[in-house]
Amino acid sequence: MLVQTPQQLNDLHKQYLADEEKFAKKVLVCCGPGCLASGAAKIVDEFKKLLKKKRIKDFSVEALKETGCHGLCEQGPLVVIEPQGIFYTKVKAKHVEKIIETSIRKDEIVTDLLYTDPKTNQTIERYADISFYSHQHRIALRHLGKISQYDIRDYIAQGGYQALAKALTKMKPDDIIDEVTKSGLRGRGGAGFPAGRKWATCRRAEDQPHYVICNGDEGDPGAFMDRAIMEGNPHSVLEGMIICARAVGSEDGYIYVREEYPLAVQNLQLAIDQATEYGFLGENILGTDLSFDIKVSRGGGAFVCGESSALMKSVAGEVGEPRAKYVRSVLKGLFDKPTVLNNVESFANVPVIINEGGEKFASLGTPKSTGTKAFSLVGKVRNTGLIEVPMGTTLREIIYDIGGGIQNDRPFKAVQTGGPSGGCLPESKLDLPVDFDTLTEAGSMMGSGGMIVVDDRTCVVDLAKYFLGFLVDESCGKCTPCREGLYQLHRLAVKISEGEAAEEDLKKMEKLSEMVIIGSLCGLGKSGPNPFLSTIQYFRDEYLTHIRDKRCPAGVCRALIRYDVIAEKCDGCLACIEACAVHAITGKKGEVHVIDQDKCDKCGACYAVCTRDAIEVT
Amino acid sequence: MSKMVHITINGKVVSASEGEMLLAVIRREGIEIPALCHHEAVEPLGACRLCTVEITKEEWDGWSNFVTSCLYPVENDLIVSTHSPKVVQLRRTLVDLQLARCPNSPEIRQLAEEYGITKTSYEEIPDGDNCILCGLCTRICDQMGFAAISTIGRGHGKKVAPPLDEAPPDCVGCLSCALNCPTNVIEFTDAGNIRTIWDKQFELISCAKCGKKTITKEFAKALSESREIPMSYFEICDECHRKELVQTMGRIALWSREVVS
Amino acid sequence: MTPDLSKLPKIIDRYPKTPQSLIAVLQDIQKEYHYLPSETLKETAKALDVPLSKVFSVSTFYNAFSLYPRGEKVIRICVGTTCHIRGAKVIQQQLEDRLKIKAGQTTPDLKYTLEVVNCVGACAMAPVVIVNDKYYGSVKVSDSKKLMRRG
Repeated sequence: MLVQTPQQLNDLHKQYLADEEKFAKKVLVCCGPGCLASGAAKIVDEFKKLLKKKRIKDFSVEALKETGCHGLCEQGPLVVIEPQGIFYTKVKAKHVEKIIETSIRKDEIVTDLLYTDPKTNQTIERYADISFYSHQHRIALRHLGKISQYDIRDYIAQGGYQALAKALTKMKPDDIIDEVTKSGLRGRGGAGFPAGRKWATCRRAEDQPHYVICNGDEGDPGAFMDRAIMEGNPHSVLEGMIICARAVGSEDGYIYVREEYPLAVQNLQLAIDQATEYGFLGENILGTDLSFDIKVSRGGGAFVCGESSALMKSVAGEVGEPRAKYVRSVLKGLFDKPTVLNNVESFANVPVIINEGGEKFASLGTPKSTGTKAFSLVGKVRNTGLIEVPMGTTLREIIYDIGGGIQNDRPFKAVQTGGPSGGCLPESKLDLPVDFDTLTEAGSMMGSGGMIVVDDRTCVVDLAKYFLGFLVDESCGKCTPCREGLYQLHRLAVKISEGEAAEEDLKKMEKLSEMVIIGSLCGLGKSGPNPFLSTIQYFRDEYLTHIRDKRCPAGVCRALIRYDVIAEKCDGCLACIEACAVHAITGKKGEVHVIDQDKCDKCGACYAVCTRDAIEVT
Repeated sequence: MSKMVHITINGKVVSASEGEMLLAVIRREGIEIPALCHHEAVEPLGACRLCTVEITKEEWDGWSNFVTSCLYPVENDLIVSTHSPKVVQLRRTLVDLQLARCPNSPEIRQLAEEYGITKTSYEEIPDGDNCILCGLCTRICDQMGFAAISTIGRGHGKKVAPPLDEAPPDCVGCLSCALNCPTNVIEFTDAGNIRTIWDKQFELISCAKCGKKTITKEFAKALSESREIPMSYFEICDECHRKELVQTMGRIALWSREVVS
Repeated sequence: MTPDLSKLPKIIDRYPKTPQSLIAVLQDIQKEYHYLPSETLKETAKALDVPLSKVFSVSTFYNAFSLYPRGEKVIRICVGTTCHIRGAKVIQQQLEDRLKIKAGQTTPDLKYTLEVVNCVGACAMAPVVIVNDKYYGSVKVSDSKKLMRRG
């Protein structure tokens, strides 16, 4: 099925659209990362089994689509019935038969599976009416949840590869770069470098050959936007890369996917095979002189390989040690040749920019941070999931209007953004607009889009200690400030969390942080102290309480807390005794249990399993 | 002829060739800054960070950057400060951190004393050795063409080791690693005509003329193959080669006199 | 227990015999043998023309590779930030206590390997545990026994 001309593509587009409209309805089962972890695969199997047996007018198993992440992961597994947009939540395999008989054979609703608005307590039938969705503007995530992850025909039916056709047949390479520059697209991986400028520099580079690499090493814990795009709409990434290849003059592309994302590797490879079959990759693409191939390069499991020079070493089969960036990788990158490296989300935006024009993209967001940004909103919010909003949306809107506020109505404490390179912002900063520059000025960073909300039961000392420990683990070990400096910062954070620190230790950490920032070779080290610095800026009192009072207000730091059974509430159900790994709890069935403080190691398992609210932490 | 550029180092304007690294220019000016992971024979790595300098340009409006001079190529109108307060503070911190890692290393202790540090202000690493992970041993081994040892692991647990923790198959016992280690961590013994390094044993060649031990048979073989030198060359030591050369040159001089007369 | 090296040439043949293929080859070996036997490292070094020291470097740099045999069931606990604040450490401790090994180790009978992994990208369903490539989300502390039976 070789597509040689734009006209042919257009015909296919119309044909595939018509194929879909054969069916009166569509069933979309979300198979994004969250829903998969909640059992979506079983739901798909059940649908397939039943639909093959049943006979329904204007419907067949072909109208079932396994889609990418629909967004509202907290309510998953999700099933959507189109064209009405009926939204079923927390679906289990046992519900499938009822859904088929009620909403597919007939036009009725299974009310038990609807979403309930926590503010009004009313159920909502269509996802478009849920505030989580109505506040969003999806560009990079545009087809997620709507098209099959596995079928290029869905992508073409939605207008896929039309941007490529336009770029190849109606535009010159410089026109493409102009459009991307006009759009103001800045690197979505977090660094925010203007994509148009990067592409232009590569294009002008005399050394050959040129390479195009997509950075799919989404290492920030808490972020899964790129994973969702790579799995749910891989063709959007491919299309963006091929357009880039035309712009900068490249024949070889790589998508570097981290080792922890095997499904993304599979879906991308499937997409590449299909795109090659259709002639969107390979030689003489769409009948032009552009030849471009994309290979999937798997990471080996190293957070540092998200850094561009380390990534390129990993693609070359070496250890992922970054090098000093005095010669930029756009001039000397992969194999020391000019290379454009852009993030998954950056490439996913490109087809839209080409189709609708750079100015339209730039009309969204803010003047310096144009367009939209995808975020993974996770942690202690009610509506955890994948969202996309125009740049400039405030933290408050995101966390409260879209996120639905804090779980269990606990008080908001902080929002952590930017992963291990970022920081925590407190309630007083909730009205800041989210973009590349504002959060950085406040001491944090927007980063790749991970947004973790924490409540009063999260200890910021523990959080800083966690991030420092993470970075010590992931440091490549080449340069002294990062390898030794972050190690010592972590040791000091441990000291604070164990109540063994003095106030000079805080000063020591602040001074050491400054040296690590100016001395480190790469971004991992340079931004490593940020989680500590931002928490000490806004939550200094919490650190001082650990130091002076040897107390952990959030009830987290093990050395400073104790667990006790509340005798009045305990009914002797034995759950905590079973959970206790060090046998520190005694008591017979039906009798009040007692925790032996000498044996207790404060792991918190008893607290977690108690359903009677009978254990307290102080 | 490469283009010349002008940069300012500590207030003095000096000229340099375009593409030269800052460290070379700084040293040429007689300014001493430490650079533990630097060696003329190998590409700079920028790992120890001790050679960091503060740079700025007039058009940067007061903003400055901190770069390792071993890896930063000179640019026209660059203004360099090799001992600005922040740079000195950075060096002191780095030495302090190294001392925490290698508290027993005489070389690191000496370096620390230059910065007024007798004991590290950080937590000493338990069971540490004196390796500062400068990577000179592995880089030089690569440069020699053997690539027998490498760093294993990453981050704080990184260390230099032979592959699979066994005697490295590619090692020829040339001692380039041991002799260039800034903290003398790599052990080797020469006993009789047996050299032992990295738990591997090698036979040392004895000079056919004077009996002195020269290099290992394996190293000689490698040089012989890569440089197309006959093995017989290595059977004579350097001194005896020179003695032979003196005799040969002498004989030629005598023959010339005989011919002329 | 010496591994069956006869499968190795087929694995190496999947990729061009250049240094660039090293990580991909090692990953396939890891998948096939559940670890990287030293003989395979030596053969790979020869086949791809990479010094053995560099093969060893790469094998020990990345989290995906293990130089020691892994168990039949590999239980990976995600300890990313979101999973951490939702109690991953407690789950880790429960599993460590039940299996009597620490994360990073394998039980002597080679039945279980316990590992921690720095974020698998399913953050909305934290805490997440993966047993032999099957994902389990919203794991509760009391689920640890169940997890051992899964995969």
